[in-house]
Amino acid sequence: MLAITLLGCGRPGSSPAHRLSVALPPDTLTFDGPELGRYGGRFVIAETGGPRTFNAIMSNDQPSNDVNQRLFIGLTEFDLNSQQTVPSLARSWDHTPDGRTWTFHLRRGARFSDGHSLTAEDVLFSFAVVYDDSLHPSVQDLLKVNGRKFELSAPDSHTVVFRLAGSMALFPTLVGAVRIMPRHLLEPEWKRGAFASAFGVGTPPERIVSSGAWRLSRYVAGERTVLSPNPYWFGVDRSGRRLPYLDELVFESVPDQNTAALRFEAGEVDAVDSVRPEDYGLYERRSKAGHFTLYDVGPSLISNFLWFNLNRREAAGKEGAPVVDGPHYRWFADPRFRQAVSKAIDRDAIIRGPFFGFAFKNWSTMTKGSHAWYTPAVAGPDYDPEGSKRLLAEMGLRDRDGDGTLEDADGRPVGFSLKTNSDNETRIAIDNLIKDDLARVGIQVTSLGVDLKTLITNVRSDFDYQAVSLGLGSAVPSDPAMAANFYRSSGASHYWHVRQKRPATDAERQIDSLFEIQADTLDDAVRHDAWRRMQDLVNQECFVIWLPSQIVKLPVRDGFGNLHPVALPHRILWNIDRVFVRARGR
Amino acid sequence: MNQAAGSRSFPGWWRLRRNRVARVAGGCLALFYVLAAAAPFLAPYDEATMDRERFYHPPQRLHFIDGAGRFHAMPRVYATRLADASEWRYEEDPAGAVPIALFVHGDRYPLLPGLWCDRHFFGVPRGSVHLLGTDAFGRDELSRLLYGARVSLTVGLVGIVVSFTLGLVFGGIAGYAGGWVDAVIMRLCELLLAIPGLYLVIALRSAFPVSLPAARAYLAIVAILALLGWAALARVVRGMVLSIRREPFVEAAEALGAGPVRILVRHILPNTLSFVLVAATVAVPGYILGEVFLSFLGVGVQEPAASWGNMLGQARSLRVLTSFPWLLAVPAVAIFVTVMAFNLLGDGLRDALDPRGAGEGEAR
Amino acid sequence: MRAYLIRRLLQTFPILLGVSALTFLLLQLAPGDVLSTLAQNPTIAAETLESLRHRFGLDQPWYVQYLLYLRNIALHLDFGESFTRHQPVFEVLRQSLGNTLILAGAAAVVTWGLAIPLGVLAAARRGSALDRALTAFASIGLAIPEILSGLLLLFLAARTGWFPVGGMHGADWDRLGAWGRAVDLVRHLALPALVVGFVPLAARMRQMRSQMVDTLRRDYITAARARGASESRVLFRHALRNALNPMITLFGYTLGALVSGSFVAEIVFSWPGLGRVTFEALESEDRYLVMGAVLMTTLVLMAGNLIADLLLCVADPRLRDA
Repeated sequence: MLAITLLGCGRPGSSPAHRLSVALPPDTLTFDGPELGRYGGRFVIAETGGPRTFNAIMSNDQPSNDVNQRLFIGLTEFDLNSQQTVPSLARSWDHTPDGRTWTFHLRRGARFSDGHSLTAEDVLFSFAVVYDDSLHPSVQDLLKVNGRKFELSAPDSHTVVFRLAGSMALFPTLVGAVRIMPRHLLEPEWKRGAFASAFGVGTPPERIVSSGAWRLSRYVAGERTVLSPNPYWFGVDRSGRRLPYLDELVFESVPDQNTAALRFEAGEVDAVDSVRPEDYGLYERRSKAGHFTLYDVGPSLISNFLWFNLNRREAAGKEGAPVVDGPHYRWFADPRFRQAVSKAIDRDAIIRGPFFGFAFKNWSTMTKGSHAWYTPAVAGPDYDPEGSKRLLAEMGLRDRDGDGTLEDADGRPVGFSLKTNSDNETRIAIDNLIKDDLARVGIQVTSLGVDLKTLITNVRSDFDYQAVSLGLGSAVPSDPAMAANFYRSSGASHYWHVRQKRPATDAERQIDSLFEIQADTLDDAVRHDAWRRMQDLVNQECFVIWLPSQIVKLPVRDGFGNLHPVALPHRILWNIDRVFVRARGR
Repeated sequence: MNQAAGSRSFPGWWRLRRNRVARVAGGCLALFYVLAAAAPFLAPYDEATMDRERFYHPPQRLHFIDGAGRFHAMPRVYATRLADASEWRYEEDPAGAVPIALFVHGDRYPLLPGLWCDRHFFGVPRGSVHLLGTDAFGRDELSRLLYGARVSLTVGLVGIVVSFTLGLVFGGIAGYAGGWVDAVIMRLCELLLAIPGLYLVIALRSAFPVSLPAARAYLAIVAILALLGWAALARVVRGMVLSIRREPFVEAAEALGAGPVRILVRHILPNTLSFVLVAATVAVPGYILGEVFLSFLGVGVQEPAASWGNMLGQARSLRVLTSFPWLLAVPAVAIFVTVMAFNLLGDGLRDALDPRGAGEGEAR
Repeated sequence: MRAYLIRRLLQTFPILLGVSALTFLLLQLAPGDVLSTLAQNPTIAAETLESLRHRFGLDQPWYVQYLLYLRNIALHLDFGESFTRHQPVFEVLRQSLGNTLILAGAAAVVTWGLAIPLGVLAAARRGSALDRALTAFASIGLAIPEILSGLLLLFLAARTGWFPVGGMHGADWDRLGAWGRAVDLVRHLALPALVVGFVPLAARMRQMRSQMVDTLRRDYITAARARGASESRVLFRHALRNALNPMITLFGYTLGALVSGSFVAEIVFSWPGLGRVTFEALESEDRYLVMGAVLMTTLVLMAGNLIADLLLCVADPRLRDA
């Protein structure tokens, strides 16, 4: 609370007086708080790692994105609470019936944080940079239809027209993924070939000009990033007062979750962005004394699963022999084996155990946390050890020598190694439970922990594994169309058999064509139907064996209004421009 | 033993045996190594076995006197049940007393390669026994401590065996041969000494193939680390060799026509033995603490394999300290006692072998 | 003297070259590269990764990359750019090295500030219970892993609020005056400096004690005592001054070790120093940042040794002409 009194003497622009002295643009964007707030105060959040760049187009790590999402806006915004696409820089948009031409109408009077006006030119510039193949920002991959880039034009300074090579369901949402950066400062850098390093962490904060609700006020390497309100922003509250309410938003960079918890305990930070399920009880108990609330934000959008290695080596441009040895491949490639494994896993025990009760069964990449795409009817083969044994017996695997482990016809004991990243203790514990469960149906599992980088190399390029268990976070927007690389047989994240030249199985061929329908059609009913059939196929074949997903709870200090943590990242900061410090006598 | 060598190296032994502290320390360490070697037999469970009913279970009490007030030579543990799930509080149920039994059947472990055994020194016929409690996933802390000792204790030995062998050989050669051989070896030493060791281990850790079992992969890394760690010792040995080779008994041996290898091995190196012994003892804790640090960073021994370092690393939250202190205390005490024992033994050896305290000159 | 200095400086080059080659090779052997974590993200296409790999020069054979790296250093004194921070390596390291030196300096104050008086005390009361207690105290300190002592102190800080929980600057650093900043820095420094400084304490104390014991045996001390000088005068005016001389040289030799010694504490206390930067760089395989950090640490180590040797020359006239 001392902070508020100290803030009066900050630099110009951080005081509410200055913020309000700049006239509002004609075209404001009204945010419903829902509460009307008061100006002042600061919010401090602990963040694992720190931002590595303030260049929103080039950044592709989480800590940088968390900051840059506050600094820069897109044409549209994906509202994490309603999980819908809402206007931002574009006040409205429309499209031709074939879905190939889209027109966005920009807000008039929008300005960057240096007062320079923000027009269609800046939008064209930002897209030109995104489409620059020598830079190839990762967002570019999302912005293509049939491999073709969009064509942009600006009939006037407040209108941007996109022409697409085909229709695309997610178009208005994905357009928002491109953050609008100031052409007047960055075009020279781009022309010089220095765009990638522009707006770096070494750039003096006052030279970083932003388009969003916030601007960079201070950056201390390895310690903290401080944002203050952008005095020119177009966002206002219901009563027409300019947002954000807070004077400062501080990201404290911490090396790990434990330090974050300690800082929270010491009162140095107001919120931490992840807590382990085993600690929920402790936070619950301490919340009164520590003046904070443990918010239950509901089901996580991270799905957990394991899969078997069905990859084949590449030989002379064609697909060669399976990577794993013959017997293992025969087992893994048999859907009955995969179903048997899925049926052997006691998911309730996993929920009770490593998740300490804070988890739910999940059978899809879109968990219960997704408003629009969770399909309750979809389910995979759940715990049924007898059914599992029957399937294995059907495959001719039985315990021939009475040692409790199944053998195949050649007397080879049935088993596999299960790899995961060792820094995730919960996952290690899950693997241990799976090992127990599978031993009960006669399958010997060796669990192996390796570091994440090695695991990624194994999964993506050298295929040095038999089975892997991993988690997959939903992208934002949370839409199945974002998971192209997972569902498409040609995708690099089609983990069980990546980058197939042509679909290896009939089911994968069907999934491929259903994915096209799902991603291209604008008709929601058609998309949902295709999506449900895709999920059913994955579950029938058990390409991946689903494991439970976590329920997320987050502690945030009391005394902030409009705070409303959600399940999608960034869970706390998504509406920070509306958050305010309550009066002391609350 | 060679007479010339005996004259300088060994009068210290009786002094060491008189040093009670060093004797106790040495005894402790010997015991630890025996416990570690017999870990699979002594531990009631495997290091990765999870007790699904008992997460964060506190150390169980042993009861010699049962509910009826009768004394039993074989202690018993009471069955427990979860009383409060959010705080992991357990209640003892005196009615469910289970006597501890010896030589019970349990998890399988290889006695010798290929020969499996499932007898454990102690255990309970039903229910479970966790004398040092369990960790976040219901794994028996005592079992993990014993299994972890195998990694943490061998790490130091492997390290010094490799680095001291190399240090003696290269230091000896450099000091005895002199000339360009000396120059080359010494430049190499300087190069190795200039490398920041910890960074190198972390880089090495990720460079290492991970298909090896976690503990063995880690030992291999220690061996590599030791390969780079011999330089400091080689420099000191070289200096000692330089002065010893001018001693009359070396010149006498040369006059008698002994070859250089024989002179080095039989006459010169044994004279550095007392120094080397002290330095080796003092160097072991460095490797043990190194493992602790690397595991803390997540680049040491990988889960689910146990080591004292990753046990400590797992217990690094405020939650553990306030609610489950045994998880921090068990590995911390083990590390502390072991390192302390090595230091005390080293001090004792130093006093015994080198009463003038010449060993105090080194920088660290 | 000048020839010696030049020779020493010339000797650093082959060492730096060797260290850099070794580090580069190790980084090359490590699985994956700086893009591995990115590769895990299923929304990122293989083409993006390829183009990034090309931009970073990672698609070339490792020896070509290494030679290019050396060439850029030789011709432009350019140590490359950090992949993850899009910033020149030199910029990243300059600041963090400064922070590390601050911590190392504070730790040295702790070590020597405790070692000298305690060593003198132990020597003066040689063989007494106090002497033994001090030795035990120091060796107990030696046996507690820095991580453990660091963590316990952090817990203490979190619970009591007496000290900040890690970091280097308070949230209001920018608004503080010079005095406020000094207080803030000291509060942040206290715990990590204590942890770093405690490790070499046992050795330094023992060395101080034995130097002091040696000096106290000298004839001039006996003579001073015979003249009837008070015990404290003998101790501080005569013995201490002479016993300190060799310790100064030793101090020089430990300068270099200080920088690498603060590695652990930097991680535990989130101190924004060289160690933490290096660790993060190693984790993300930010190759040139790792290379730069390793070279920088090596240089500091060697500079420390050189300073120590020069101190020795100054202290000992016989070596001055060597």
